Amino acid sequence: MELFLQRLFDGLSQGSVYALIALGLVIIYRGTGHLNFAQGEMALFCTYVVYQCGEWGISIGFALIIGMATGFVLGSITEVTLIRPIAKKSPFAVFIVTLGLFQFLNWIDGAIWKDQPLPNSGVGSKQQSFPSLFPNKDTDFVNVFGAAIKKQSIGVFLLVLVLTGLLFLLFNYTKLGLAMRAVASNAESAKLVGIRTNMVLMMSWGIAAAIGALGGVVFAGINHNVNLGLMFTVFIYASAAATLGGFDSPGGAVLGGLIIGVVENLAAGYADQWVGQELKVGVALVVILAVLLVKPSGLFGTEKVERV
Amino acid sequence: MTMLNARGLSAGYGPVTVLHDIDMELHEGEIVVILGANGAGKTTTMRAISGTIPRHGAVEFDGHDVSKMSPDAIVRLGVAQVPQGRGTFPELSVADNLRAGAITRRDGAAAIAADADRWYQQFPRLAERREQRAGSLSGGEQQMLAIARALMSRPRLLLCDEPSLGLAPLITQELFGVIERLNKEEGLSVLLVEQNANLAMHMAHRVYLLETGRIVASGSAAELSADDTIRKAYLGF
Repeated sequence: MELFLQRLFDGLSQGSVYALIALGLVIIYRGTGHLNFAQGEMALFCTYVVYQCGEWGISIGFALIIGMATGFVLGSITEVTLIRPIAKKSPFAVFIVTLGLFQFLNWIDGAIWKDQPLPNSGVGSKQQSFPSLFPNKDTDFVNVFGAAIKKQSIGVFLLVLVLTGLLFLLFNYTKLGLAMRAVASNAESAKLVGIRTNMVLMMSWGIAAAIGALGGVVFAGINHNVNLGLMFTVFIYASAAATLGGFDSPGGAVLGGLIIGVVENLAAGYADQWVGQELKVGVALVVILAVLLVKPSGLFGTEKVERV
Repeated sequence: MTMLNARGLSAGYGPVTVLHDIDMELHEGEIVVILGANGAGKTTTMRAISGTIPRHGAVEFDGHDVSKMSPDAIVRLGVAQVPQGRGTFPELSVADNLRAGAITRRDGAAAIAADADRWYQQFPRLAERREQRAGSLSGGEQQMLAIARALMSRPRLLLCDEPSLGLAPLITQELFGVIERLNKEEGLSVLLVEQNANLAMHMAHRVYLLETGRIVASGSAAELSADDTIRKAYLGF
């Protein structure tokens, strides 16, 4: 029981990271119909910025704000300068552009922070130590029914819940949220009711990248370090989370992320004979396949309703 | 007073020019109807005015040159469009569709809610379905929603692209009745595109006849109906 609770909470905090990256994917997908392959790498760049702030002696809380602001600017600029002009010519090309951006950002990170990817390992050679947002020493535990739960896990989980609540309010009770939903539903009509669709898309990319930055910082905090390969597997899990929850449902992305995190940890823990640490990514891919076969719109995605 | 004035307006899609050098105008408080067969360029005219496609020539609304403006800027000047095929937000609820229609307004949530109530009274079927997704409404209900949404922006000019398309005659009559009443009681100017000449001629102050992207006749509804050749060739009665 204690072991189960520990694995459950480890899974929830891992899943929270997937949820944050998946949220970014979903916000962009809803607005534009594009899958942003660079989501994880945009987050990593911001995480490095936060790391750099730490090196300069800025506290982690303030550095996080700088990192998220960097994400917002990076996301907005990407939309305006790269995505928008190319989407006009060919929506498919956007797919390639985000892949290129993935490579480019990783290379930039490596150039600035002097890290090299290690072959076949998914990590970089230089693991820079990274501060945690929450107490994360070996002694920072809370006792829950006899299980020792990391304060960090609880903190990360609560953070994601609060953020999800804020996003819910944004989407449902603000003009910007209404505009974002309208653009997602019918971009042409959104223009005709006077919505500045370009502004909305720019904001969507900005918000998505800022949330991603938060995800990167949280994940680096859990791992105690930041390196070039940090977001590779996270991105795959996040894609699985978004697929599971439904690619156009922010709530679904969060729940999907948490489910994937828990399943991954339980599978690796209990079925370590044939899943283990090495095959954990396989769990995510199996989930993607299964969802696409059984319910392609995901748990909470909208199946298109149309009456003629 | 001339509210909308288009001079030498041309527009099209990519390399294809659909609309050739048309002149048309609309005075404040008028209902102007553009009639024409399929492919005559009616919808293109609407899009050229609302700015959703590239166009050449001069378009003035209320003295502002709108020929280079983006669609959202034109909406802010007080021009609302009901696009062809309704163009509602299918994933949004009826209530959210109306709220989205009022998104350019700055006069507060209370005034917006009061307007929404007004359209719910006008179209009771929308009131019954206010929490339903727009995509689940019937064609007629969606058309009502599209018109109500356009009116939520408190426009001075309403552009209506074939509101009768795919609707039962009774519902079309009801919709036209609402448009006519708004014009009479509140001075709403309306530019309406129609294939259904019979219905539209009744409420039109003036009519333009469009054929393959050119205006071939214009005048009051009475003048056009009186002209035998035009009546037989274009109006079909």
